[in-house]
Amino acid sequence: MYNMQKRVTSLDILLLVVIIGALSALSYHLVTKLNYHWNWSVIPNYIYRYDQVTGHIKAGQLTQGLLVTLRLSVWSILFALIIGTIMGIFRVSPRPLFRMISSTYVGIIRNIPPLVLIFIFYFFIADQLMSLTGITDLSYSMEDKDFPLLTFLCGPIEQLPAFLSGVLTMSLFEGAYITEIVRAGIEAVPKEQWEASKALGFNRTKQLTNIILPQAFSQSLPTLAGQFISTIKDSSIVSVISIQELTFAGQELMSATYRTFEIWSVVIILYFLLTFPCSIAVRALEKRMNRHKQG
Amino acid sequence: MTLWRTVNVGLAAVIMIIGISTAVWAGNVRQSLAQESAIETIQKKQILRVGFSTFKPWAMKDKNGEFIGFEIDVAKRLAEDMGVKVRFIPTKWDGIIPALLTGKFDIIIGGMGITPKRNLKVNFSDPYEFTGMSIIASKSAANGKTSLKDFNTTATKVSVRLGTTAEKAAKNFLPNAKILKFSDEAASIQELLNGKVDCLIASNPLPTNLAQKYPEKLYLPLKNDFTKEPIGFAVRKGDPDFLNYLNNWIKVTNSEGWLESRFNYWFNTKEWESQVE
Repeated sequence: MYNMQKRVTSLDILLLVVIIGALSALSYHLVTKLNYHWNWSVIPNYIYRYDQVTGHIKAGQLTQGLLVTLRLSVWSILFALIIGTIMGIFRVSPRPLFRMISSTYVGIIRNIPPLVLIFIFYFFIADQLMSLTGITDLSYSMEDKDFPLLTFLCGPIEQLPAFLSGVLTMSLFEGAYITEIVRAGIEAVPKEQWEASKALGFNRTKQLTNIILPQAFSQSLPTLAGQFISTIKDSSIVSVISIQELTFAGQELMSATYRTFEIWSVVIILYFLLTFPCSIAVRALEKRMNRHKQG
Repeated sequence: MTLWRTVNVGLAAVIMIIGISTAVWAGNVRQSLAQESAIETIQKKQILRVGFSTFKPWAMKDKNGEFIGFEIDVAKRLAEDMGVKVRFIPTKWDGIIPALLTGKFDIIIGGMGITPKRNLKVNFSDPYEFTGMSIIASKSAANGKTSLKDFNTTATKVSVRLGTTAEKAAKNFLPNAKILKFSDEAASIQELLNGKVDCLIASNPLPTNLAQKYPEKLYLPLKNDFTKEPIGFAVRKGDPDFLNYLNNWIKVTNSEGWLESRFNYWFNTKEWESQVE
């Protein structure tokens, strides 16, 4: 087909020139007209630093924030997946009570702004949970160096209660979206699969675990991976409850150094470095699954 | 008659039981009050949790990621005198009081000005330092204005940090001016440097430092601070024991001259500047 041919017209080149011109004009204006002393010399220090006491290279403050963001996102998506799967199954359950529980959960979470939800959940619920389970007290008596695995998985122990509250809040929030993805996945499985498996004598649990869910998940895998990228980005919201992730680390640095633009720029780049490879992976995944369908 | 006597004896017994239990209960209240004091829990857990917000030079991170600053020195000394370890919990300024109330930390040592409104929610110790508000103005936007009266016009825009006493001071001293509130200091400074606002109100030494850093753009319209604000430790309500300890701790460290020397080091010298940048 003629229209599908990949070709570059003179209009495309013109457009490209205009776009590049506008961008460079904007950046020129930013650099020269803005009353701001640009000073990038301090920035590398916040990415990595040379520890004079031990002689090792250590993570700078922004890198530490990035690690917290990464840990937070991975744990959140893991728990969100569990919550989302259970609630997603509830959502298509034949029992009205289960459907009600699940739709109430999704309805409430998705209709509250995440910021408000995080505040309420953090101050009123998560903290009580942490105290009740004794995690808060436990964290006082533990030292980082005695629990290297825990420190690797969850970050510094002194931030553990806050970190877990953050994970809990995030997973509850993301779980509502995953519920919908799982529900859509289950509903996309053809009705015949249900009927055929029933005819073969599977009960509902076996139907779900052996027939329906594997198909549902493989179909919604790209969407789930996309949700993971969203989680990384959404994790910046928990900076408001003082979880020391990338955004919070950046804001702390800005309060101390007033190097607003440099630090925000680095923060943007770091987020991008985290999410862009994920995006590429998702695209590759989608491609592979489409090939499988055609084949 | 036996019925009447039974009722009487019963009533007397009930009254006695209530009386005794009230007395016991009152004793218990005092005991449990002492036991629930933050002093007790801090001693038991061997850790003092301190809430603060990054605010130069009160508290900030140095190049190695360690917290330094006036408040950090105060908190370290306080913990040392209590014989416990200290744990710093950096918290956003707008959420710092709710965080204290919900028990995220035991005390706010963060340059918190004592105000009646805050005092309704938390208890304050005696002031351990005083800070003053000052004005820093943009040369391009507010040229030639040298008094509070000059700034108190409807055409003036003032930037302040949200929820600070600077916001209050701006309202009180410049009621006619338009007040723009920012949740962090860096944004309000940038607004001033860009000439979007005429002036910025903040507690010293920030205005003085800014004037030294950007002499071609900014100037100090007033020679002296126009307010003097008491700064105290904030703790949860209903804890007289802790408050008593803090007040006396302040008296002792003040009499040693320690508080003043630390204050001078952080607010009137620049020796620590190289640790940050």
